[in-house]
Amino acid sequence: MFENRAVGLALTLPAAIFAAALFLVPVGILLSEAFRIDGSWSIGAYIDFFSSARNRTVFLRTLKLGAFVAGVSAIVGYAAAFVIVSLPPTSRGRIFGLVTLPLMISPVARTYAWLVILGRTGFVNQILVNLGITDTPFRILFSETAVFIGLLQLFMPLMIISLVSAMENMPKDAVPAARILGANWFQVFWRVILALTREGLVIGGTLVFTGSMTAYITPAILGGSKVLMLETLLYQRVTVANDFVSASVIAMILIVMSFSANLLLKRIATARKSR
Amino acid sequence: MSDFVLLENLTLAYGKTIAVEALNLSINQGELITLLGPSGCGKTTTMRAIAGLMPLRGGKVWIDGQDVSRIPPSKRQVGLVFQSYALFPHLSVFENVAFGLRLRSEPNLKQAVMDGLEMVGLAEFADRHPTDLSGGQQQRVALARSVVMKPKVLLLDEPLSNLDARLRLDMRTELQRLQKDTGITMVFVTHDQSEALALADKIVLMRDGAIEQIGTPEQIYSAPVSGFAADFVGFETILPDGKGGGQAWRPGAVVLGQGPYNGTVRGASFAGERREYVLDSKIGVVKADVSVAHPAFEIGQTVDFDLPPETAVQLARVD
Repeated sequence: MFENRAVGLALTLPAAIFAAALFLVPVGILLSEAFRIDGSWSIGAYIDFFSSARNRTVFLRTLKLGAFVAGVSAIVGYAAAFVIVSLPPTSRGRIFGLVTLPLMISPVARTYAWLVILGRTGFVNQILVNLGITDTPFRILFSETAVFIGLLQLFMPLMIISLVSAMENMPKDAVPAARILGANWFQVFWRVILALTREGLVIGGTLVFTGSMTAYITPAILGGSKVLMLETLLYQRVTVANDFVSASVIAMILIVMSFSANLLLKRIATARKSR
Repeated sequence: MSDFVLLENLTLAYGKTIAVEALNLSINQGELITLLGPSGCGKTTTMRAIAGLMPLRGGKVWIDGQDVSRIPPSKRQVGLVFQSYALFPHLSVFENVAFGLRLRSEPNLKQAVMDGLEMVGLAEFADRHPTDLSGGQQQRVALARSVVMKPKVLLLDEPLSNLDARLRLDMRTELQRLQKDTGITMVFVTHDQSEALALADKIVLMRDGAIEQIGTPEQIYSAPVSGFAADFVGFETILPDGKGGGQAWRPGAVVLGQGPYNGTVRGASFAGERREYVLDSKIGVVKADVSVAHPAFEIGQTVDFDLPPETAVQLARVD
């Protein structure tokens, strides 16, 4: 873009220095804490962390909820994105606006709204009781289900946006062309839509998975201390126990999980493509 | 076989907008038929309805003696070459052509695909990706992809409009050869009258969602039934007779420089061997072209002209 590369470099330098000095270095120091025991390098802190059954539960729960939220977002997201891209432009804009609206509302407000909806005397339980499905209200809050619902609502728009933009880039008549060549809807999805929107799925999947894994407010409010996730555990370790070593371990695990998820999804995408 | 494809009172709509109303059309087996008309006349919509991509608001579609109105596109055994080609960018040329054959587990898949690519002269491009090909080559892949399925009807949406002049001629010849070799029934949608005249066995001229005129290229070209049809094939000067009918002339038939009428030159353009003029006159707008051997007229000049009855075509309606 620049005729002189030096100019380009000079322009990125301030941002690079800023990022390095105020982000990379502190993070590096923090994370390296977890590899040091009494001044020597060690992975002992990790072994300690995973030797606790409670920590393993939290780790697996985080992984499971992240994967579930990403998976369900993908399924619902494909359906929603397919409908959105087949709409005429004006109503497409409107529906798309509706999908992205939650992103403009504070996650705290949204999560508190779930407290109202899912609570003992909340909207959902009132309906269930009035319909005679149950006599005593269900305990939905402070369960994995509540956290799952909250995270799904929080992050699904990201999946839908990724998939909509991926679908908009598909050749205009690819789906009807496949239909005419004899493909049923399942085959159309598998051989054409999925194949052509893989990158959108990878981006959306990574965003939703890492987002769910690293969300704090939603699991904190809807899960409480009963349904700890890595992020809430991290916070607890720092504020309650002043245990920075565990906190660093958790932070490192979260980073590794995010990167692995992205790599894994990319690998899946390219493996199918080169077939 | 007559009535091989039969559209019976076909009515199609987008929401509240009726695109095609109560259209009846019969296509014989092995015929190359053209749906001709300006954009918005319903020709593409009609074609999509034959393919099953457009829900019917009313009427029926029959193919090969079977009512296919409720049969999904995947089971209609029609082929469609899209204007945008609609190749699958994630698949090689070979896999694009193989797409439909794989779905029905064709036993001789490789042979069938290579035959198809051979037919359009692209056998050596089998391993390439569609994005590596030129527009003309992509279209031939799309054609091969449809033809290898041996469809009962092959539909082509504006197949020549995205090609440059030379490729257009090649493709036209190729389509004619293909039709002759395979005897396949072809329905070809275009807004270009010269394409329709050159290719079709039968032309269906459409206007506002209905058929204006059906005929051989000769009939359409020399005996238009209405002002619309006449204008579409180049009879650009229309003189109503006051009783609904009238006469029409091609620009070359209008005599300039003498005659009982006169008009003011509004536009003049040089077109090589001919000069083209647009005149405003009491009887309406007159379009004329004359040999460059004639002295040129200036814009604003008043010119006498004649509309000789012997070069006119008689119109039953002028609308």
